[in-house]
Amino acid sequence: MKKTIGVVFGGRSVEHEVSIITAHNPIIDSLLATGKYNVVPIYIGKDGSWYSDPAMNDINFFRNDLEEKLKKLKKLQLDLNNGLQIMIPGSLGSKKINIDIVFPAMHGTYGEDGSLMGLLRMANVPFVGCDLFASAVAMDKVLTKQILKAEGVPVVSDVWFTKEDWESKREGYLHKIKNLRYPLFIKPVHLGSSIGITKINPLADQEKNLINAIEVALHYDEKVLVEEGVENLVEVTLPIMGNDEPILASIERPLNKTEFFDFQDKYLSGSKKVGGVNNNYSEIPANIEPSLAEKVKELGEKTYKILGCSGIARVDFLIDSVLNQVFVNEVNTLPGSIYQHNWKKSGVSNIDLVERLIKFAEGRFENQKNTTYSFNSEILNQYKSSKNQ
Amino acid sequence: MKKFLSKYSLKYPRSLVYMLQASEYNIVEFLDWFRRVKDFAKVEERKTLVKTIKASLLYAIAWNLFILSFAIAIASLWFFEGVRSLLVFLVIFLFAPYLTLYLLSLCTFLLNSVQRPIERIIINKAKEKLQNHKALKIGIAGSFGKTTMKEIIKTVLEGSKNVAATPDNKNTPLGIARFVESLDGDEEILIFEMGEYYEGDIKKLCEIISPDIGVITGVNEAHLDKFKNIERTAKTIFELADFLSKKEGTKVYVNKESRSASESAAHIKNENKPFPKVIYYGHGGIEEGGGNWKVEGAETNLSGTSFILKNNKEEGVVVRSKLLGLHQIGPLAVASHIAQSLGIKLEKIELGLKNTKPFKHRMEPREDAGGVLVIDDSYNGNPDGVKVAIEFLKEIKDKRRFFITPGLVEMGRKTEEVHREIGKELANTGIEKVVLIRNSVTPFIEAGLKENNFKGEVIWFESSLECFSSLPKRTINNDLLLYQNDWPDNYS
Repeated sequence: MKKTIGVVFGGRSVEHEVSIITAHNPIIDSLLATGKYNVVPIYIGKDGSWYSDPAMNDINFFRNDLEEKLKKLKKLQLDLNNGLQIMIPGSLGSKKINIDIVFPAMHGTYGEDGSLMGLLRMANVPFVGCDLFASAVAMDKVLTKQILKAEGVPVVSDVWFTKEDWESKREGYLHKIKNLRYPLFIKPVHLGSSIGITKINPLADQEKNLINAIEVALHYDEKVLVEEGVENLVEVTLPIMGNDEPILASIERPLNKTEFFDFQDKYLSGSKKVGGVNNNYSEIPANIEPSLAEKVKELGEKTYKILGCSGIARVDFLIDSVLNQVFVNEVNTLPGSIYQHNWKKSGVSNIDLVERLIKFAEGRFENQKNTTYSFNSEILNQYKSSKNQ
Repeated sequence: MKKFLSKYSLKYPRSLVYMLQASEYNIVEFLDWFRRVKDFAKVEERKTLVKTIKASLLYAIAWNLFILSFAIAIASLWFFEGVRSLLVFLVIFLFAPYLTLYLLSLCTFLLNSVQRPIERIIINKAKEKLQNHKALKIGIAGSFGKTTMKEIIKTVLEGSKNVAATPDNKNTPLGIARFVESLDGDEEILIFEMGEYYEGDIKKLCEIISPDIGVITGVNEAHLDKFKNIERTAKTIFELADFLSKKEGTKVYVNKESRSASESAAHIKNENKPFPKVIYYGHGGIEEGGGNWKVEGAETNLSGTSFILKNNKEEGVVVRSKLLGLHQIGPLAVASHIAQSLGIKLEKIELGLKNTKPFKHRMEPREDAGGVLVIDDSYNGNPDGVKVAIEFLKEIKDKRRFFITPGLVEMGRKTEEVHREIGKELANTGIEKVVLIRNSVTPFIEAGLKENNFKGEVIWFESSLECFSSLPKRTINNDLLLYQNDWPDNYS
């Protein structure tokens, strides 16, 4: 019997469209190419409604008049009773599909941040990629850095605050920021794909620019991070997969045209290329000194383990190429298009990649089954008897 | 059953017109194809109907006929009574798709008959214009490699001369006439690709063009379905040499590596006519009566082909081209030879040669983000082309090589032999993966592979589309994929 894989994508996130691409290239396309699975696309609209239709296995479904097409579809119902079932209402009663494994393909909020993983844990269904805890921590850049710092992983100095902090104690934070070395990077804490990030150069009106940048970041998020820039900067990234024994892909250096890798660079300027959501402006493997490469690999694996990642993730690094210092910048638990181009270059074909990820999902699920979550207790009876007294 | 029902599909009229257009309004070919179709709703897959005036007109006619025949069927219910009315209705209903088919064929025939005299006027005009045109005219004929030859000669000459060549695959009298219409009149060199589909075709084209130089790229099994035997193909292609024999100062370049072509050329030599002067070309260089141009140090890899062309008198021509494969040596040598005979300086010739690069879908390399190399050779649909593609793969080391093919069409009674041979060559070369599309000819390739103890893996796909979408998901860094040939709809 073919296993049924539910690929979940879209969602209430600024990275909604990117998620649609990731879901199709490579996930759905590769799963279909194996011929081994029933692939059920599960699409969450920008308003949070759930849909499923076989036509959604083709990315063209999402290209034109999506709103009109969605209006014609009935929304899904979910059954979370010991396994995940989706029910698609139809004129002759609803069609019930049992999902054996879930393949999340969501980026950012309400998906990659652990929300979806929580739901899937409740349903007791195996799913691909990082679990709830790693996803939730990695989604918060501040929390990630705090944990890594506590474990001795080098990270760059920063100042962080919430919207409320900023409104009530702005001067205090501006004072703290003065201790950081320019250029500064202002980031919304929870967003990926470089959305809402601004670089502030040490110019005459740097403070005005800084305040503007913070306002921009606060527009996207409740929590903002102001980070010190690294000099002689070389940015690299390292995709990793596996559970207890992580497998490293190649170190990749994005060769972006503008000063830093923003949303436009990452997803839009390479739109004619066929490599999924990642364009071609990168060097794989990165041409960096062997000692630095070793350091990157060591810190990558360590970070993956400290955060409790499983399935797949990508660790981003900042390198001072003169002082030979490596800093971990952030962790992405569902990299765009699961970084298939890098895996391919590292000897893992698309089909191989999705099949391995499914194996890791099943492996983790089996292990969790062996953990006991029930405990026979007399506490209820005792409680009752105490009340009866 | 599916075939029967699909004749009642709403796509039926469009499919018929598409099929007519794809068979170039040749009714015999069209009816032949009609018999082979299994599902009329799925004929238009690789290409789509191009809305020319003729096609639009026929499309409107097809729909009218389709509706009319059903209208007659329904009307019969009123004309007749009782069981008989139902019977007549059923008979007409069953024959409605055929009624549409045959009436549409008749309309096409009538349209063709009206069109022909008009075409003749256009062609005669072109002929007249060419007769008064002072340019040197080069005609290229052969079963394969015409477009490549045309493009190479054009690229090498155009840095020094005003050159025009027939566009794309326009190689019929009408296509050439339209090209002639577009000429300014001050061109110095005109290059024509000449297509052969039936006996007499090349002769007709020669009468329009009146070439001064001929190039015969080779004779093989291409279009054997129409020519029936290879001797007839050779005779048709050599109509070019026959024409040149009637004109003074002409010469013809003949591909020495094509057996049928060099045999036919030997016949001309034996006839001892003063013209055309026969010049052979190939991997070894150029052989002409007076002396030879020898090829030295030939090399080919994924970045191109290079060699030195040594001439008795002068220093050699250094050839560095981005074209892939040693089979490009011949055409590059021909282009150099023609350029030299036109008095073009050595540096200019070398620069022109440097500008030659792969043409679309002909041994055209590209690399994807995952480091997978793809050589697109999808316009290559003939046995000699397949041979050179496999030979090229032989030169590539340290890569996992995939050879992807749906086989070749129009091979007539040679079908089994040609495909077995491909399988055997692939096995001999030690290709790692052979990817086959399931159809009537690919099992012969598999048989050839087995015959020569193929050690690699054979991967099957049910359709080209499935193969194109699936393969990129199975490949990794440093893999080399060569896509050879793509079947048009009328053969699948």
